[in-house]
Amino acid sequence: MGGFSMLLSFWSGWRQNAVMIQVGRRAFYAAAAMVVLASVALEIALLTHDFSIAYVVEHTDLSTPTPLVAAGFYGGQEGSLLYWTLILCVLGSASLVASSRLGPRLAAYAAGILATIATFFLVVLVMVASPFDVLSVTPPDGLGLNPVLRDGGMLIHPPVVLAGFASFAIPFSFAAAALLAGRSDAAWIAHTRRFALLAWTLQSAGLVLGMWWAYHVLGWGGYWGWDPVENVALMPWLATTAYLHSSQVQEHRGRLRAWNFGLVITAFLLVVFGTFIVRSGVVPSVHTFAISAIGPWFFAFLFICVVFSGALLALRAGSLKSEKEPAAALSREGAFVLQNLLLVGVVAVVLWGTVLPLVSGMLGQERVVGASYYERAAGPLLVALLALMAAGPLLPWRRAGKEAARALRWPAVAALAVLVVMVAAGVRSLPALVTLPVAAGVAATCGFEFARAIVRGRRQGGWPIALAPLARRRRRYGAYLAHLGLVVVVAGIASSHFWQQEKDVTLSPGQQVSVGGYTLAYTGTEQRQLADHSELVASMSFGDRTLEPARATYAGLGGQSLTHVAISTTATADVYVILVGANADGSASFRVLVNPLVSWIWAGAIVIILGVVLGNLGERAPLPVPALVRVRQVS
Amino acid sequence: MLVVAACVGYLIYSASGGSSEYYLTVSELRSHQQAGDVRVAGVVQNDVLRSDGGLHVRFTEKDSTDSVVVDYQGPLPDIFQPGITVVAEGKLGADGIFHARNVLAKCPSRFSTTPYTS
Repeated sequence: MGGFSMLLSFWSGWRQNAVMIQVGRRAFYAAAAMVVLASVALEIALLTHDFSIAYVVEHTDLSTPTPLVAAGFYGGQEGSLLYWTLILCVLGSASLVASSRLGPRLAAYAAGILATIATFFLVVLVMVASPFDVLSVTPPDGLGLNPVLRDGGMLIHPPVVLAGFASFAIPFSFAAAALLAGRSDAAWIAHTRRFALLAWTLQSAGLVLGMWWAYHVLGWGGYWGWDPVENVALMPWLATTAYLHSSQVQEHRGRLRAWNFGLVITAFLLVVFGTFIVRSGVVPSVHTFAISAIGPWFFAFLFICVVFSGALLALRAGSLKSEKEPAAALSREGAFVLQNLLLVGVVAVVLWGTVLPLVSGMLGQERVVGASYYERAAGPLLVALLALMAAGPLLPWRRAGKEAARALRWPAVAALAVLVVMVAAGVRSLPALVTLPVAAGVAATCGFEFARAIVRGRRQGGWPIALAPLARRRRRYGAYLAHLGLVVVVAGIASSHFWQQEKDVTLSPGQQVSVGGYTLAYTGTEQRQLADHSELVASMSFGDRTLEPARATYAGLGGQSLTHVAISTTATADVYVILVGANADGSASFRVLVNPLVSWIWAGAIVIILGVVLGNLGERAPLPVPALVRVRQVS
Repeated sequence: MLVVAACVGYLIYSASGGSSEYYLTVSELRSHQQAGDVRVAGVVQNDVLRSDGGLHVRFTEKDSTDSVVVDYQGPLPDIFQPGITVVAEGKLGADGIFHARNVLAKCPSRFSTTPYTS
């Protein structure tokens, strides 16, 4: 492992010398290859149950199913850092392959910054958190994975989240390199667009998978708790979302150059900040990760990143000013600017809520904020963002005229119609009466854009090629598809938030309970013995279905129990049953929740990702992409 | 830009003023005068009393300063058991019992079980 860092220290050597730049880049590939080797070595150690290695003992045991043993690679702190480094090195190499086209200085600096980040991780891996520490005594079996994590979600959520974070280091490196090289053109944006999109897609998928996992496995009836660990994953996503939009302004209109640099840097700093918060335990969280010595290391790294990027931005601020007059407020770029400000506002809200315990603790009495803070502070901003999503795409670049105002009537009509229906249906909650109509407006805008494109295509050449404009400008229509997906997600979140119903009941066999119009009948409980745990299973009949909420007890893990919720998804709502406990007389206690439209969140998320993928698949890139494939073959 | 910044600032200020909760030790809890929910962290003692099929729980929570009886209605976190640290969110009643609206467990670690020692 030490050899890696050695190789990487080459970086200080190069400057303008073309040969040295090439050497530097090759050294990065070499380091990447070694990280791949180290990862393979760890994975082999895990799969062959090499219990002489502390990491293998701590995260797996002989009874753990093989896929979960393999997942042990990123299941622990040390391994997850190695995984981070692996993604950084592989994607970093991919981004460097074609980078010489950007000019020698930019390419060299980007390689240097990527290498610096990789070196930091490698130093931490070698010095404080090595996954290859050998135990003095080799135990016969490992400790195994916490039962909460013995789930399919474990196979996919953590690697996606971590990869989403790691891949954002690439846009950051190229942005910082462009600043360093004094380049203010959009070349770095075009070059890293794929990586930014990949990072965003992975982060989005990671967030939704986390919500899905919390909802189905953790079993408290919800999917988002505004816990610091969730917040620090949300903030980079918000910043990345802002960047994906604002970078278009620079590509199309050459504006917002300083802002884009700032955003990319902020998003990356938020990733580092999140890692620090999560790993250091400075903020009270429901799920504390293994707190370890790496906290101070990340704090130092964060500090260096802040100083370095701040200095860079300050240094180049003068050359980044746009010479043009400011954008008109009523224009596409105006909408993008406002959208960005609002997103950054949401980041500020979440950041303040996350660090409040820290700040207030330093100033006196420690305070915390709960969900209501986030709802009250971020809610209005999110609704304003939705409203922008409805209006923004209909506004033309430069300046909006009367034509745009006419186009705006479609979302307005849709919003009004939904509002009228909701009021007629007896809805009186103000937040609901604002959110859902605005979401309908967004849907109308996207629908209008699709319809307009299809009509235009039909006029040009009849039905067979009516869809051609959609495919030809897929980046644009993919984005609208993603917007539509977001509307579905918003409908799901809003409905389950505003109209969730819950009831705690104790029932004897044969008794019924009604929640939100759904009737469940309790039939009885039974005890089941499984390989590594026993389960108390209750049966409830719900229509022609049987729900079986259960409590598992793991004797091997100090009698730790685990709730298995039973969820029945209907078109309009999830019926969600938690078995709390059973009494000696055969009665049992339950918490029954009715969560309207939760399944829309998962469906909408799939549409969003589909939109992004379809919108960018096979799009003619400014630079060739086979780089990605080539590196995979190396690994 | 300033308008948006001002709005965000106002939202943060008004929301955090209205809905932030104090993190207290048990002894601070006794002298805490302000209305509103507070959070108290402590170790669950060996006197957990469950009734109503586990929906109603009463236990003593102890920190380095003092201990208090916590009364809670609802499902508890899975890892709840004597000896773990919990955060109770609620109010101290006039009866001297802390009526919790929510009980959060602090997992010893999310991603690993107890460290191996031998």
